[in-house]
Amino acid sequence: MALLLLFIPFLILIVINLPWRVSVSARIALGLVLAYCALQMVVVPILPVSFWQTPLNLPLSIGMDSLQIDWLSRLMLFCIPLVAICSLLTGVQYSKDLKNKFYFKNLILLAVIGMNGVVLARNLFSIYVFIEITSVASFILIASHREKGALEGSFKYLILSAIATMLMLTSIAFFLLTSDNTQFSTITTAIQTAQATGTNSGLLMEAALLLFIIGLLIKGGLFPFHWWLPDAYSSAPSEVSVLLAGIVTKVCGVYTLLRVMRDVPVLHPSINQGVLWVGLISIIVGALLAMRQKEFKRMLAYSSLSQVGYIIIGLASGTPIGYVGAALHLFNHTIFKTQLFINAATVEKSTGTGILDEMGGLSKRMPITGVTSLISFLSAAGIPPLAGFWSKLLIIVALFSTGYNVAAIIALLAGILTLGYFLIMQKKAFFGLLNEKWKDVKESGAAGLVCTIALSAITILVGLFLPYFLYTYFI
Amino acid sequence: MNDLLLVSGVLIIPLLCGIISLFVTTPRFKIKEILAVLTTGFALVCSILLFSRDFNIMIPWLGQTYAIELHLDALNRVLLVAVSGFAFLITLFSIAFMQGQKKLNQYYAWLLITLGLASGVLLANNLFLLLIFWEAMLVTLIGFIILGGKEGSNRTALKALIINGITDLLLLIGVALTIYQAGSATISNIHLPLDGVNSIAFLLLMIGAVAKAGSMPFHTWIPDAAENAPLPFMAFLPAALEKLLGIYLLARISLNLFALTPASWLSPVLMVLGCVTILFAVMMALAQKDYKRLLSYHAISQVGYMMLGIGTAVPIGIIGGIFHMLNHAMYKSGLFLTGGSVEKQCGTTDLKSLGGLGRTMPFTFIIFIITACSISGVPPFNGFFSKELVYEGALDRHWIFYACAALGSLFTAISFLKLGHATYLGKKGEATANAKENSWLMLLPMGIIALGCIIFGIANWLPLNYFFKPVLDTAGLGEEFVQHPLGGLPGNPLLLIVTASVLILAVASHLLGFLRTKSGLQAADHIHHAPVLSTIYKWAEKGYFDPYYVGRYVVKGLAWVLFKIERAVDWLLTRVPALAAEWTGALLQKLQNGSYSLYILMALGGVIIMLLNLIFGTKG
Repeated sequence: MALLLLFIPFLILIVINLPWRVSVSARIALGLVLAYCALQMVVVPILPVSFWQTPLNLPLSIGMDSLQIDWLSRLMLFCIPLVAICSLLTGVQYSKDLKNKFYFKNLILLAVIGMNGVVLARNLFSIYVFIEITSVASFILIASHREKGALEGSFKYLILSAIATMLMLTSIAFFLLTSDNTQFSTITTAIQTAQATGTNSGLLMEAALLLFIIGLLIKGGLFPFHWWLPDAYSSAPSEVSVLLAGIVTKVCGVYTLLRVMRDVPVLHPSINQGVLWVGLISIIVGALLAMRQKEFKRMLAYSSLSQVGYIIIGLASGTPIGYVGAALHLFNHTIFKTQLFINAATVEKSTGTGILDEMGGLSKRMPITGVTSLISFLSAAGIPPLAGFWSKLLIIVALFSTGYNVAAIIALLAGILTLGYFLIMQKKAFFGLLNEKWKDVKESGAAGLVCTIALSAITILVGLFLPYFLYTYFI
Repeated sequence: MNDLLLVSGVLIIPLLCGIISLFVTTPRFKIKEILAVLTTGFALVCSILLFSRDFNIMIPWLGQTYAIELHLDALNRVLLVAVSGFAFLITLFSIAFMQGQKKLNQYYAWLLITLGLASGVLLANNLFLLLIFWEAMLVTLIGFIILGGKEGSNRTALKALIINGITDLLLLIGVALTIYQAGSATISNIHLPLDGVNSIAFLLLMIGAVAKAGSMPFHTWIPDAAENAPLPFMAFLPAALEKLLGIYLLARISLNLFALTPASWLSPVLMVLGCVTILFAVMMALAQKDYKRLLSYHAISQVGYMMLGIGTAVPIGIIGGIFHMLNHAMYKSGLFLTGGSVEKQCGTTDLKSLGGLGRTMPFTFIIFIITACSISGVPPFNGFFSKELVYEGALDRHWIFYACAALGSLFTAISFLKLGHATYLGKKGEATANAKENSWLMLLPMGIIALGCIIFGIANWLPLNYFFKPVLDTAGLGEEFVQHPLGGLPGNPLLLIVTASVLILAVASHLLGFLRTKSGLQAADHIHHAPVLSTIYKWAEKGYFDPYYVGRYVVKGLAWVLFKIERAVDWLLTRVPALAAEWTGALLQKLQNGSYSLYILMALGGVIIMLLNLIFGTKG
């Protein structure tokens, strides 16, 4: 039944784009997309895994036999429509151009299909294809307002994605040299036999896996492959930033990395180490650069780099507890980063500026935005009892338990940096004296507020009821 | 009746009624007063019923070490009766004395809660549990002092909190060390030899115990509290309960937890501390010009006798110390209550404005005479007999300890002659002109206490043989008294001669001073203004001997130094990393220069490094 998650949105995509006279109005199209996302968000956690595992015998399902679902997939399948809804609502509220809105819905739905596919697929090549679908939708989305900065950001993303594509395709080609197909199970046995026989093809397979992983690191925007990320995040329209930072790079890069490193476990230890160092350097570089940013969204982009670093070091530990920690931090990061980007959009809409130094004391005029930002950044900094605390704790525990003590200590200390740049942000934007310019500023619009409050509630609830959450979905 | 029910009567019901009383703010119907009298009376009845019992209760709580363990043995059943008895008498006294005061709900709440906690300290058979009750008593102590409502009350409360907090911390470390050494927290199971680490544990526990009792140098808050806190509090806590509990713990650790022997180095330490306390505090008392403040210094001085007695580590001295503890609690709270009686009528306790009260307040005067004779060690009263026992123990160790104790006795007698003369004899002043005798409600508790002083004096074999000898029997020190039965006058005639000469000397000194100055108040001034002593007094008045006072300056200086160090560390920890972060950030930002080729090169560089790492990295 997992195929339905690709098939139904595809049908909706066709319905809202029917040519000639039967074409639906923009309002109905929006309604359909929102309804689908809401449905997926509700249905995926409720229905049991066994339901999704039963195969669906449709003529179209040829070649889709490797779609599978587990707790990790379900977690992401919950996050994808959640962020998509937030993005859509933000877009409806803040973008005036109706025609663009229509493109926007189509592209978001396309991105949702792509991401659903990435999450469900257990085949390197399928994953690659779905990543590309998502990426193409993202390229267009970033540039959809056709501003100079946005076009540049989109182009940078495109260029670096091209390298990633190249690496991933090379990797797949290497795999096909030695194994029959690119299913995870096949690859795993191929690597095992190659290592057992001790031939050179073992190293080749490992190199292929490494190339694929590097491709994913580029997609996820890790140092030193992050160059596209700040431009793309900050120059894109607000609603696209929400989608891009909230879920696209997380699913395409980080989730897939977690999936590959978890499901193809016979890795050379130096790959784990390499990924670990990439993560650690990303944490520090991202945090240091975030401190120096003057623009709200650009600062959030660098903070993404830093937070994704935490997820990466969690999964690089290679233990179940590390995987759970990484998955949980992935979830938490999706929630709080989406929320922060929505808040950034709200602030930008209300004041017309995205420069931190020009803001000041906005909490007095926009209390909800101010407080929700505070909650999300405290969660990001890992302050108990918010959700971010538990995931960081699990990650650091996993590192200690595998003997990466230095890495664990660096990760712990870098938490101070996280607190540092978020405090700078909060102080410049929301705390302190109200800037005279903004004494008449108001919260703008209900949709953004509803989203940000709902996301804050998730952060707090997950933080408070984590054991329940863990036992229900992870163990 | 069930042991537990009786225990709850002295422990849980006072605590509960205290909390209830906290919420009774209405002054109507005297609800608080009636509740307090009933609760303390009930506690007294329960404790008397418990007197013949002997039990050991364990209710599991936090594992084996932290269980709720209660026990009743020879030592604490006497004290349990004493504690609830004092609470009952002080409550009776307070009804008349505290009438019309503000925040009475808090006053009675603290009184009842203190009773419950004190019972808890006595009954606890677990060091951890004992510590909990012990520390909680600090709260009611602070509450009482603040209730004084005077200008310095809050400062005194803070002083008491800091001094007791520090000594309680030492006690806590001592408890932890003892539990660690013994491998158990159950008091009745612990019996450690006094050597090595154990003696450190003993020292720490001892400091906690004697500080509670008000020994030097942890005493300095008591004279301040005498001025700033409500008077019945002084009669209740520093004069009675704190002595009982502090010396109880001291006896407990020297007899049960550890075996304090004359050979141990801790015995002389305790004796020297006792002698120092006796002499210094009594010298300070001699110079006081205020009824309550003078008494408070005696409350400190008398602790010295108890410490000296227990510190001798010979059976006769120990029994003397414990007996003196109970006697002291009686006569000192009686003395404080006479002070309260005077304060209620005259509105002041300043000796300069008092005088001639003997005729208008005859009962108070009689009670004062009995209790003052008792504290000065005049024969048929109780203080005489317990002091003689302590002297006998001290003489057994070394004559110098005995000399110090006897000298202390001399000054005690002189200062009480002065106090009685200045208050009850002489001419009436403005403040005392309209004084009349107080109501029976205030006189009754004082009378009972004075009666107790007489009974324990004349029939001293009664408490000695039935209350205190079993304590030594359980500690294995009782054989001594088979040949020399307790009670009656001391066997050594030297002691009697010295005591008699001390008393005669005191009267002579007082008469001399009186003839020279024609004033009862200044009758002791020739000692006050003696060549060397006057300088010492001057220093003492400036607070040079008050560790709290000196400590404040030390702390200030230390704080300055630490502040500078902290600034330096702060600079190192905040500015340096901040600058480093800024510079690194700036450098990294330069890399992000918008050049596609640079980006691609960097990304490919990353790929190559990771591939090289794979090929040449360690194979696991």
